[in-house]
Amino acid sequence: MIIDHPHLGPRDAAEFVYLGDARLIDRPDPDAPDAARHFHDYLYLRDNPAGPHRELWYHEQGDRSWLVLTRDTLTHEITRVELARDVALAQGRGR
Amino acid sequence: MADLTLAATSALGGYRTEIGGVRLAERTGLAIVSIAVPRDGEAALAEALQAGFGADLPRPGRSSLSRDGATRLLGMAADQLFAVFDHEGPDAARGVGAALGTAAYASDQSDVWVALRLEGAAVRRALERICPLDLHADAFAEGQVARTVIEHLGAIVLRDGPHALTLFSARSSARAFLHALETSLRNVA
Amino acid sequence: MTDALPLPVALRRDARPESARGLQAHRLAGGLVDRSRTLSFRFDGRQFTGHFGDTLASALLANGVRLVGRSFKYHRPRGIFTAGSEEPNALVELRTGAYREPNTRATVAELFDGLEALSQNHRGSLGFDLMAANDLLSPFLTAGFYYKTFKWPKAFWEKLYEPVIRASAGLGRLSGEPDPDTYDKGFLHCDVLVIGAGPAGLAAALAAGRAGARVILADEDFRLGGRLNAETLTVAGQPGALWAEQAAAELASMPNVRLMPRTTVLGGFDHGIWGALERMTDHRADAEGKPRQVLWRIYARRAILGAGAIERPIAFGNNDRPGVMLAGAVRTYANRWGVAPGRRIAVFTNNDDGWRTAADLAGHGVEIAAVIDTRAGQPCLALPGVPVFMGEAVADTHGRKALARITLASGRRIEADCLAVSGGWNPNVHLTCHQRGRPEWREDIAAFVPPRDLPNGLTVAGAANGALSLAAALAEGRGAAEAATEGLGFTPAKAPQPRAEDEPVAISAFWHVGASRARAWIDLQNDVTVKDIALAQREGFRAVEHLKRYTTLGMATDQGKTANVLGLAIMAELTGRTIPQTGTTVFRPPYTPVAIGAFAGRARGKDFRPVRLTPSHAWAEERRAVFVETGAWLRAQWFPREGETHWRESVDREVRMTRASVGVCDVTTLGKIDIQGRDAGEFLNRVYANAFGKLAVGRTRYGLMLREDGIAMDDGTTARLGERHYLMTTTTANAVAVFRHLEFCRQCLWPGLDVHLISVTDGWAQYAVAGPNSRDLLREIVDPEHDISNEAFPFMACGEVTVCGGTRARLFRISFSGELAYELAVPARYGDALIRALMRAGAPFDVVPYGTEALGVMRVEKGHAAGNELNGQTTARDLGLGAMVSRKKDCIGKTLSERPALNRDDGLRLMGFRPVDRSLGLVAGSHFVGFGREAVTANDEGWMSSVAFSPTLGHSIGLGFIRRGEARRGETVRAVDLLRGTDMAVEIVSPHFVDPEGDRLRG
Repeated sequence: MIIDHPHLGPRDAAEFVYLGDARLIDRPDPDAPDAARHFHDYLYLRDNPAGPHRELWYHEQGDRSWLVLTRDTLTHEITRVELARDVALAQGRGR
Repeated sequence: MADLTLAATSALGGYRTEIGGVRLAERTGLAIVSIAVPRDGEAALAEALQAGFGADLPRPGRSSLSRDGATRLLGMAADQLFAVFDHEGPDAARGVGAALGTAAYASDQSDVWVALRLEGAAVRRALERICPLDLHADAFAEGQVARTVIEHLGAIVLRDGPHALTLFSARSSARAFLHALETSLRNVA
Repeated sequence: MTDALPLPVALRRDARPESARGLQAHRLAGGLVDRSRTLSFRFDGRQFTGHFGDTLASALLANGVRLVGRSFKYHRPRGIFTAGSEEPNALVELRTGAYREPNTRATVAELFDGLEALSQNHRGSLGFDLMAANDLLSPFLTAGFYYKTFKWPKAFWEKLYEPVIRASAGLGRLSGEPDPDTYDKGFLHCDVLVIGAGPAGLAAALAAGRAGARVILADEDFRLGGRLNAETLTVAGQPGALWAEQAAAELASMPNVRLMPRTTVLGGFDHGIWGALERMTDHRADAEGKPRQVLWRIYARRAILGAGAIERPIAFGNNDRPGVMLAGAVRTYANRWGVAPGRRIAVFTNNDDGWRTAADLAGHGVEIAAVIDTRAGQPCLALPGVPVFMGEAVADTHGRKALARITLASGRRIEADCLAVSGGWNPNVHLTCHQRGRPEWREDIAAFVPPRDLPNGLTVAGAANGALSLAAALAEGRGAAEAATEGLGFTPAKAPQPRAEDEPVAISAFWHVGASRARAWIDLQNDVTVKDIALAQREGFRAVEHLKRYTTLGMATDQGKTANVLGLAIMAELTGRTIPQTGTTVFRPPYTPVAIGAFAGRARGKDFRPVRLTPSHAWAEERRAVFVETGAWLRAQWFPREGETHWRESVDREVRMTRASVGVCDVTTLGKIDIQGRDAGEFLNRVYANAFGKLAVGRTRYGLMLREDGIAMDDGTTARLGERHYLMTTTTANAVAVFRHLEFCRQCLWPGLDVHLISVTDGWAQYAVAGPNSRDLLREIVDPEHDISNEAFPFMACGEVTVCGGTRARLFRISFSGELAYELAVPARYGDALIRALMRAGAPFDVVPYGTEALGVMRVEKGHAAGNELNGQTTARDLGLGAMVSRKKDCIGKTLSERPALNRDDGLRLMGFRPVDRSLGLVAGSHFVGFGREAVTANDEGWMSSVAFSPTLGHSIGLGFIRRGEARRGETVRAVDLLRGTDMAVEIVSPHFVDPEGDRLRG
């Protein structure tokens, strides 16, 4: 596969390390009253869609950026590549 | 007390060779200093780089040269540059840190890497055997830089001449990296 | 014999094999071989000659050799069937000794001077194969015979069936020696990859190249041109082969075009990545040290598949006899190689193209015994003097080891030593299937064509696309290239389209001669016949994938290139369904077989993976250190001294000397991460379970990192070098994973923090200096202006110092051994000099270098957890570090570490263990079981994770996890290892065997 890095252009997927569902960005609030349940769901409950999937890839043999790919798990077509940091900021994560 | 003064040894002892018309040499006496861009500090760093080096802040994958041509800044990531310049001592980060002040976080990388320069017409044909990057001049012009993986080893590739590249890879695996390069040169010679 | 046509005079006059009557007796005039260059080669030990430009197959045919191998199952005599990589029959062993390569297709083996080839799959000679008795057993060896026969009795399997099957399985023999050739891999990039250099491919490459695109033109053949080299058709008024040569020359002159003959594109992968194998030296007698083959990964923005078409046979009785060949191959041998595969050739066809074989051969002056066309009606070509049978079929063939005669369905017999068969052409759709493409049936050409829905960037042109005429192939190739280059922003060059024939290609599907009583072959290589398909149909294995597996149709090394569609069509006939209803046949990579060596590339022996060396490596080698691989690193494991014969002697000595005075160990391999930023402290506070917020500048702290699920991930020390500057160490093994995790936290979880990471692992040579005299030794090394007294530089202090007269260094007062200890780091360039200086300065203290074994012994004595304890199953609480997990702050893993199941009263706890009988050695991996209880999982109380012989205590000690360990000090349990058969009583003790109060390290 080829991942079109937002800064570096197309790079072989062999340079990347796969993590999984991009929802791992949404780390629950540890101070919420039912934090344990949220953390459980966050860590263990993942969708495994046959189709478009947002997932985290790490450019280990590159610029060390974490990326969010939108990839069809059936066809491997990658329709979107974003910097995970931008995604996290847009989702309201900060400090 | 006995004289215990420590002598420096480079990763490959200044190794140089020529295979199939390609000159391969370890670049010694090279300082590499990483410069991290403080959060939201890009403009300040750009200014400090102009003031300190007369150099532009390069985008990732590009490099820029200081006004005096002595320092090349490599764009490694959105918030990281490498400054590369000739310097013998192990204290290069101090100088860069002093020049940039609070506009950057500097860390010495000189001893992290081995640097090998390859020059000759067959460089691209040899690297085809190990490097996944497209090194055609149209795709990877002079001044472009990329970090990739070569024979399982992380590597930084910098084009610094029409038929010349400088490759950086981890110092600890310098011998394995050299072996990969020499094998490639021999295989296409 | 009354209705047999008369035997030709030439055949009657001399019954000896033609190879015995003269050199290359089957050569015709013309062809693309260089007759001025004669090459000699050996086949089965016999000397032959051929010409430059020959394949082994064409040279064998030129010498009249028709029997070249034996079939897989029935050991039937087999000859050359095709003229290309689809060859199912003519498999040979090429080269000798360790270079021997089995199952090589003679039809693509380029002839060179001195080539040696052996036929394969026979016991005894090729001419008299003892295993040919299998043919008589054929009624028992039908499809599925494995599954039916070898079921019982059970005892027969290992003793009889398996040895017999193993002995019969396979075709050629491996050399059994390491492959002495070298292989390489590589990466290529282009705008347009053109696969196949036939008319469509050449036209495409010319158009794309002229437009200025970066083009790769790859073809499996050593001569570009494809069918242009095999036909008598013309392009732009000149012979096709000449046009191909000119096209190749023009392409070769373009700097933006890379011609890759001898290169097979093996597979199509995601996003325009193609796998290809280039044969670099297979056509030479000596590789001269260069890689024999290169496995390329080609990145192409666009690809044009011009792979042509593969002819398919018709099934009729004994259609596997040597001399029965595909019609297109017969004329290829005549036109390209100037070889007549027979003296008297009959043609059997269901389409117009078969007639061209007759016409071309007649043009070469070869006698045509007959043309038999399954279609009723008028002959499509006038062939004066040639007997023509319309609406007829060949029902059987005869001849001992090669064809002598055929029988038609009507019973008429015809003398012929070669039968050219054409059942039509299958577009070569293989590469369009590799990404889930399903070929579609086209009734008008009775063949599968590529699906309309192709992978992004791929187009198919010419015969591969079902455009079977030359003019159509040229037009499609050019059109595909223009579309591809325009899509990439290039402007097509204007050049006239070369004129070429739109030769007739009409076909009427015809698969199987029903009148045949004898066995009719479909898959020649795996000996699958029409009978087998019928059996599969009767037994219910009708779906294509079932049919394939039940009969092994298409599962041989040729992957059924000539067989699959025929088998499918016959299944359709038998079930009364159409071909599309029956299914489609898909192909997987690789297109043709690839030597394992090519996949391995350089990754063999010591080159399997890179090795990392510390700066003290050369020094350690001088000291005759024994090295151990830890990840990619080589680390000194121990340093044997003169007279030491057992590793324990060396390790015990290193431990004793360190604890008695001072020892030095290279700890460079620990991961080192430089962490800077305004929020660096806060970041550490969140990634470590214990608090880091109040770590002072100049101080170091042990840190335990958890995974988000509360399991311990890694540990190490982090030093605060400055207000906004920290240095983290990780374990050697986890350095990469920890860095990745920290980047995840930094970028994905807390993108607003100002914190920056960079690895400096390789930048510093770091040595542990441990033992009661470590400070005194360091006073010789550290420059005197730095006060390293206990008061000025206490336990867990750190700082920048200079050593040996001004060299910058970092000193950390940390201890893994439990002794008064330091770690001293210098820029890697000084690592070699520093270890030598430490040894020299340490001589008065009897300093000892120690390796990873002694390091391990001392950490077990001290009760420090390491990789065996941080094994991905244990929590901070299990490790006895529960109190470290800060209650006051959030950190990765905190919430889930509080889960009840991880905090049970009867949970595991890291404890020390010693054998009740002190003379026994503990065994790591033993499980703890109570006395009088059976050693089964239900009674398992934990396990021993690390053991060592403690020279300090004089007996074996261990660390391990045991339920309710903290409350069970002094209790005795059994440590049982069922694998090694040990069962001993052990006492549960504190994990801190040496200096439990920590007086030494604070001293």
